[in-house]
Amino acid sequence: MRARFGLKGFLLPCVLLIVWQLWGIAQPAQSAAPVPTHVFESARQLIASGDLPLAIFQSIQRVLLGFLIAAIVAISIGLLMGHFRFADRNLDPIVESFRPVAPIALLPLAILWFGTGTPAAVFIVAYAAFFPLIINTIFGVKQVDGLVIQAARTMGVGRFRILQTVIIPSALPSIFVGARLAMGIAWTSIVAAEMAVGAKSGGGGTGGIGQMMFIFYAYSVKLDGIVVCMIAVGIVALLIDLCFRILQRKVMPWAH
Amino acid sequence: MRARMAKQAPILGATDAHLTERILRRISPIVVYLRSMAVVLIVWQLIHLRVGNPILLPSPLAVAESLYQLTRDGEILEHSFISLRRLAIGFGLAGLLGIPLGLFMGFSRLAQELIDPMIEVLRPISGIAWIPIALFIFGIGDELPIFIIFYGAFFPVVLNTIAGVRTVDPLLVRAAQTMGVTHRVIVSQVIFPAALPNILVGTRLGAGAAWMSLVAAELIGAPSGLGFSVQWYRQLLMTSKVLAFIVVIGILGYLTDRSLRLLQQRLTPWAVDTGGAR
Repeated sequence: MRARFGLKGFLLPCVLLIVWQLWGIAQPAQSAAPVPTHVFESARQLIASGDLPLAIFQSIQRVLLGFLIAAIVAISIGLLMGHFRFADRNLDPIVESFRPVAPIALLPLAILWFGTGTPAAVFIVAYAAFFPLIINTIFGVKQVDGLVIQAARTMGVGRFRILQTVIIPSALPSIFVGARLAMGIAWTSIVAAEMAVGAKSGGGGTGGIGQMMFIFYAYSVKLDGIVVCMIAVGIVALLIDLCFRILQRKVMPWAH
Repeated sequence: MRARMAKQAPILGATDAHLTERILRRISPIVVYLRSMAVVLIVWQLIHLRVGNPILLPSPLAVAESLYQLTRDGEILEHSFISLRRLAIGFGLAGLLGIPLGLFMGFSRLAQELIDPMIEVLRPISGIAWIPIALFIFGIGDELPIFIIFYGAFFPVVLNTIAGVRTVDPLLVRAAQTMGVTHRVIVSQVIFPAALPNILVGTRLGAGAAWMSLVAAELIGAPSGLGFSVQWYRQLLMTSKVLAFIVVIGILGYLTDRSLRLLQQRLTPWAVDTGGAR
């Protein structure tokens, strides 16, 4: 971890950036090739006009909504499956059967069911986030020390209170791991979903960063804009991860 | 003597019971699986009847029929082959470049310091976000999905390989060095085997990412393959065929993971569970 971003670390990115810029200068003046300076200019414009922040905001909103739906369903079913053998035995085949289906593959179906707007994107996000969440919740609940549960039961604690005070706190670190993974996948799939929606709906006004990228590709042919969006996608991914790390430290200082 | 006989009989009975129990234990997961999936199919059928529109949701039977028909026509085989070929090339390249790079970065501090920031800058940009610009560079065809697959699989492979090298006991390396073994032999005989469990974990994670990237890339920018087929039949509003291809994607995704898990069990039987929760 130390010296990770030492001075030497800047060497390679800087060299690549300079090479990229030089390559761009060598291109003919009319070419649409993205060059760092153009990209920077384009980023400034997109941010100043409010287009980029709006698109990012819209995508994040969808991710959060989809994630929330997935979390409610996955954590409650996961708790059931982790706690009751009966539920685990009968539901596990269903979960395992649907898990290998790539979320994006369901997009055409989602478009058919919900149209090309927000609900289709939210559906894909929820589906993608569901599996890491449920699997890690089950794993977390199964790891709870059986003795502690028995101890609580001997002391006459009710089932619901055991769940509340024993099982959930012990399973929380694992649930958090699942949530972090799920959020990463959710962000990836929202970009794909919006991009595919943009590709197939002819660039309607449903917005989102993925569609913005696709419009830059297919309609206005602005490669600088695409690069700006890619960088924005990366920054948001980093921020999401950072938020989770901070939250994790705040909520569960013991699980590090 | 009689006492012995009396003792033996119940033992025989016990082995009998043991045998049936063993058979039951073998069969019962299958029974449970079929039972659960039967419930899913029944619910599906009920929703289908309630919706009443086969374009929105065809019945399970219609999907099974499409599946049969598409298999008979060879369409499923053809598109699966195209997709799997792309997966193999992209994923193979990721392994071929990612594992040596990871070994090198794990081994050399300088390489780590030079290259790691670059990886940390590129990694958060998901492979899928590269699709529009890759469309410009490669156009619609084989190269685009291969590139996206490669990109998606590359980072899990590199990062887990580095982590694997870090777990190697430095004493082992030093012991080999004292015995005058060359660098190359140390890497191939000491570091690589010790890092193998992590490398295989990275490979499995990479395969998962690759599979997701494959479908996305084909859906958006490829004239063939499984992702393309799903999208194609949606445009024709042949939903039962859409679902048939989704089933195929699920089965192949499962088999990919399964075969890598088998490889893991074969090569590193002591470290199968290091896969952790995904």
